Amino acid sequence: MEELARRVSELASRCLGCGFCEPACPVLRHGPHRGYGPRGRVAAAAAIASGRPTREALASVYSCLLCRACVSSCPVGLDVAWLSRAARSLALRLGGGRAPVFQVEARGRR
Amino acid sequence: MGAAGELEAILPGRVYRDEYLVALYSREPSGARAGRLPSAVVFPESLEDVRRLVRYAYRRRVPLYPQGSATSLSGSAVPEDGVVVSMERMDRVRRVSLADGYVEAEAGVRLGELNALLAARGYMFPVDPASQAVATVGGAVNSGAGGMRGARYGTMRDWVLGLEAVVADEEASVIRPGCLTVKCRQGYDVARLIVGSEGTLAVVVSAVLRVTPLPEASPTVLAFFPSLRDLAEAVVELRERGLPLLIAEFMDEETVSAAAEFLGMKVPRGHMLLASVETCREAVKRMTETLLGAARRHRAVYADAAPGLREAEERGFLRLRRSLFPAQLHVSRRVLGVENPLVYVEDVAVPPSRLPEAVEEVRRVSAEMGLRVLMGGHVGDGNLHPAVGFDPGDPGQARRVHEWFHEVMRIAVELGGTVSAEHGIGLLKKQGLRMELEARGSPRLLELMAALKRVFDPRCILNPGKVVDCGGAG
Repeated sequence: MEELARRVSELASRCLGCGFCEPACPVLRHGPHRGYGPRGRVAAAAAIASGRPTREALASVYSCLLCRACVSSCPVGLDVAWLSRAARSLALRLGGGRAPVFQVEARGRR
Repeated sequence: MGAAGELEAILPGRVYRDEYLVALYSREPSGARAGRLPSAVVFPESLEDVRRLVRYAYRRRVPLYPQGSATSLSGSAVPEDGVVVSMERMDRVRRVSLADGYVEAEAGVRLGELNALLAARGYMFPVDPASQAVATVGGAVNSGAGGMRGARYGTMRDWVLGLEAVVADEEASVIRPGCLTVKCRQGYDVARLIVGSEGTLAVVVSAVLRVTPLPEASPTVLAFFPSLRDLAEAVVELRERGLPLLIAEFMDEETVSAAAEFLGMKVPRGHMLLASVETCREAVKRMTETLLGAARRHRAVYADAAPGLREAEERGFLRLRRSLFPAQLHVSRRVLGVENPLVYVEDVAVPPSRLPEAVEEVRRVSAEMGLRVLMGGHVGDGNLHPAVGFDPGDPGQARRVHEWFHEVMRIAVELGGTVSAEHGIGLLKKQGLRMELEARGSPRLLELMAALKRVFDPRCILNPGKVVDCGGAG
């Protein structure tokens, strides 16, 4: 798990923050903020890997459909679905094996 | 109760204090970061929400940092304490009037979405920053964005007819500068003063934007030249023949080979020109021959044509140019031996005829400083984007790149150009702006800009610290 956390932090630190992934995400426009898109999920995975699974960070990685639509538009080739899954594993462990309690918000946009 | 708590009472459901989220909204791809994180991110959903927020911030002197998609490369989207105001929930296209040639779109509408909507009706909004898929109307207005089609269509200031914005006063007054028509003499041109003001004068809520029909055809040529002079002369010939160039992008030889290696592409050696002409369907063949002829006459070692931009895209003509940023990352990772280098993309412009000199000078200065620079740009409008990578953990390197940054700006100014063509001043180019105005014998202009800032934003709460300093008012 230490190894997984290290790997997540390392990959997440490659994110440029360009947001080119966001138009591909089917979830983002229905969510309340940027956390519900791939750019936000990379940062959320990093936050969870550093032991800080905040409410919005959890909503971010658990709202990912794991569809990988964003992967092809990432200039540094990050696999956000993998990061989301890894972050969920880490969150589970941080909760001592109990599934974390999180709340996903949906907004009635389009 | 702190500012965030009070705001929650004023704008329920629109205020987030989550530490992860606050950090997420405090960064941008330039690498600039907040020194002190803001206390909250606020998501207004209406003009009235923005007014409530500004009224509160004015009374309590809380700095507001309006934000679109935070794809700025100048530091202009980075907060410092205060509150981030994300306009992303205001994403309605309020009106489309093709008969009158305009759309009215809220600040959070993405340019890519706007163009998808317009394309279905044969129209487009022509300003196309590299980030156009993600960039928002509000962000593009505030950064005065440009793009690949700048030589043909100019930048945001040419396409904004009017704005709806909130100014920082006791009442959070709404102003609506500009008109629904191209011809508009409404006293001072305040709409265009706000265009490019980087959120320092008013909170832009929506914009009336001109739109134009999609080009009927756009034959495109990809060519490689033995020297930059040859490439520049080919472009000069096309201009002298009166060709309506839609796109004229270039990359120098060293950059081409680095990008080709990064992409695993086999390409000819030489300096790359990607030129596209806007024309009617019947003229495609003739225009293509003119483009290819100009390339051959100027010793192009390779030239290939596509009948339109879509075909050019499908055949990979744009791949090299699009890879400038990731290729620089790749090169930096290898050359510097660090996992996460930071890449600085410069953004200067010189009169297009001086571009070869600018490229040679930037190469010379970079070599002297021991920096590996990659360079691409918009040859049609003289906009050059040299990029260097460095290890942010190495203060020596960071200092050297900072010096390089200023050298590049100095070169541009000496060649009659400007320190920022389309990325803006933000945090990173305030010194550069001063240098440019002093070199032009116009330092008084900086004082006038600071005075304008005080008139619009007397308490210095709108994106403080960007473009000009507030002096004592902050």
